[in-house]
Amino acid sequence: MKRFMNLLRKEIRELVTAQLVVSLVFMVVLFNFIGRTSRKEVEKAMGTQPIAVLDLDGSVSSQGLVKGLESANFKVASMAGKTKDEAVRDARASESKLLLVIPEGFGDSLQGLESRQVETYSFMRSFSLIGARTQIVVRAVLSALNDAASDGFLREKLPGLDPDSLKNPIRAKDFVLVRDRMAEGSPNMVAGLVSSQSMLIPIVLMMIVIYSSQMVISAVAMEKQNKTLETLLTVPIRRTSIITAKMLSAGLVGLISAFVYMAGFRSFMGGLGADEVQAAAGQPGADIMRQLGLTFDTTGYLVLGAALFLAILTALSMAMILGVLAEDFRSAQNMIMPLILMVMVPYFISIFADMASLSTPIKVLILAIPFSHPFLVPQNLYLGNYGLILGGLAYMLVVFVILVGFAAKVFSSDKILTMKLRFGKKRSAAAA
Amino acid sequence: MSVLRVEGLRKTYGKLEALKGIDFEVRPGEVFALIGPNGAGKTTALRICATLLTVTDGKVTFLERDLRKEPDFVREKISYLPEEAGAYKNMKGLDYLKFMAAFYAGTSAEEKEFVERAVEITDLGPRLQDKVGTFSKGMTRKILLARALMTKPVLAILDEPTSGLDVLNALEVRAMVRRYVREGTSVLLSSHNMLEIEFLSDRVALIDHGRILDTGTPAGLKDTHKANNLEEVFRSAVQ
Repeated sequence: MKRFMNLLRKEIRELVTAQLVVSLVFMVVLFNFIGRTSRKEVEKAMGTQPIAVLDLDGSVSSQGLVKGLESANFKVASMAGKTKDEAVRDARASESKLLLVIPEGFGDSLQGLESRQVETYSFMRSFSLIGARTQIVVRAVLSALNDAASDGFLREKLPGLDPDSLKNPIRAKDFVLVRDRMAEGSPNMVAGLVSSQSMLIPIVLMMIVIYSSQMVISAVAMEKQNKTLETLLTVPIRRTSIITAKMLSAGLVGLISAFVYMAGFRSFMGGLGADEVQAAAGQPGADIMRQLGLTFDTTGYLVLGAALFLAILTALSMAMILGVLAEDFRSAQNMIMPLILMVMVPYFISIFADMASLSTPIKVLILAIPFSHPFLVPQNLYLGNYGLILGGLAYMLVVFVILVGFAAKVFSSDKILTMKLRFGKKRSAAAA
Repeated sequence: MSVLRVEGLRKTYGKLEALKGIDFEVRPGEVFALIGPNGAGKTTALRICATLLTVTDGKVTFLERDLRKEPDFVREKISYLPEEAGAYKNMKGLDYLKFMAAFYAGTSAEEKEFVERAVEITDLGPRLQDKVGTFSKGMTRKILLARALMTKPVLAILDEPTSGLDVLNALEVRAMVRRYVREGTSVLLSSHNMLEIEFLSDRVALIDHGRILDTGTPAGLKDTHKANNLEEVFRSAVQ
């Protein structure tokens, strides 16, 4: 155990380099900076927005429209007394993001039950999505005023009738069923809530697997490049201990790196408004999820944890074998690509496709990738597909045992020194 | 009892036969050298004796124990210095020695003793507080040799021990090897430097194309082959 701890300490010290710490700190600072900047932009967009209004009508109705805009948190700059061209020119020179032109006769048309067109001129000074929000809000205000106006007409012409019933004679009350549970809500909302609830799981998995694998591949490749491997293999420590120390150190450092990354990512997402979106879903959303059983209990978290753990172990053992094939640190960077692809494929499938609707050969292919199973665990837990979950866990365990057995065999044989995969070079004899 | 006995050792890599049934033994307190041209099989033989490579056929025993069956026992008692070895570049010289000593030492007092011995062998003084990555080739070689000798192994397997060293450093290293042999360590080494072989070795085996051509003391071999030096001995044996 003393020898193992000695080796483990060395492996961790080799992995936690100044470069790694600097790159992690830089990543967190960068994400935090982007998050803060985005948050400021969102706050600006949500705050009082300057717009210009050219009211060519001056009626009660047009003044009502302007008041509606003011109450929707717009700072209205009046362009009264100007022509349309002058108003466009002046508004463009000002900080206004939009010019609303209310034509002459606007109020009379509304009184005469005729529709009337208003014009909006948006000044695009940037092409960010947040920048386009002004026009969306103006449209919403117009829509609310349209509703109010049409309700007024209907009440005037058809007194005693509810305008809302006239405009929407058919109403829908949505229910969602998941297995034997039912709750009131739309499938879109439930899918959105499930997605936001488990959004971090695939990202965390992907980051941990990629970080840990890269570290273990590099750890083995660096031993070869620095010509320390031969000496290490002749010291009195079991080969399995060497493998375990390398995998454990890479797993630990990879895990910490991934969590640091996630902290930065969370700060970034918070800046983009994910916190507000989650808060907006609020209590009703949480109630629906509870009613439908779409929340993780302790067992659920344990199962998910087991799946993540097995995926990491499988990735590490795979990376260990790839590390043996690598000749040096540079070729180790190429070796990591197949592993990253094996994680990316199920990651994107879990986001963009429904496993159930895939054709059987593709489904088999996806399920054959061990890293697919942790991505599928949340969905299978929600749907009660416990057989698929247990099958996935068992499959990952079998793959891990085979891979780690193979890695141990490679480390105990000549292959650790002779097995090489060279890029762009011919194989040469190993004998000296 | 011999420290190391190699009998009918064969080693193949696919179709390539690197060793074609070689026999030799290393006796207690002697320096036994393998000399031969590049690709003769010297490093392969040394790597097998150091438990790095497996035996295709034949028998290798260390202190009467089968190397194939008890590699862990062998690793406890030997040390191996590869020809192209390196040390962990991010480690300080002293930390590297402590790291390696911890594998062999039973107690912390023993570990301290090993490290003190290694510090003496390297003769690098305060430079041992610097990272290995900043060391010259000669300094790295010295620290690696110190690592190999600090535990006073039963058998030190040294592949080109003075490779890359200047004359003065090479002389120091040879003196150090002789000193540890006097203190009881047996040495199996290979070198291209015939002067070094004559100075260090008690017995020599001439190896070529995976076969041992002749074995004996440097003086005995010179007599047998009527040669003035080992280079001429080798030429005579090959012809």
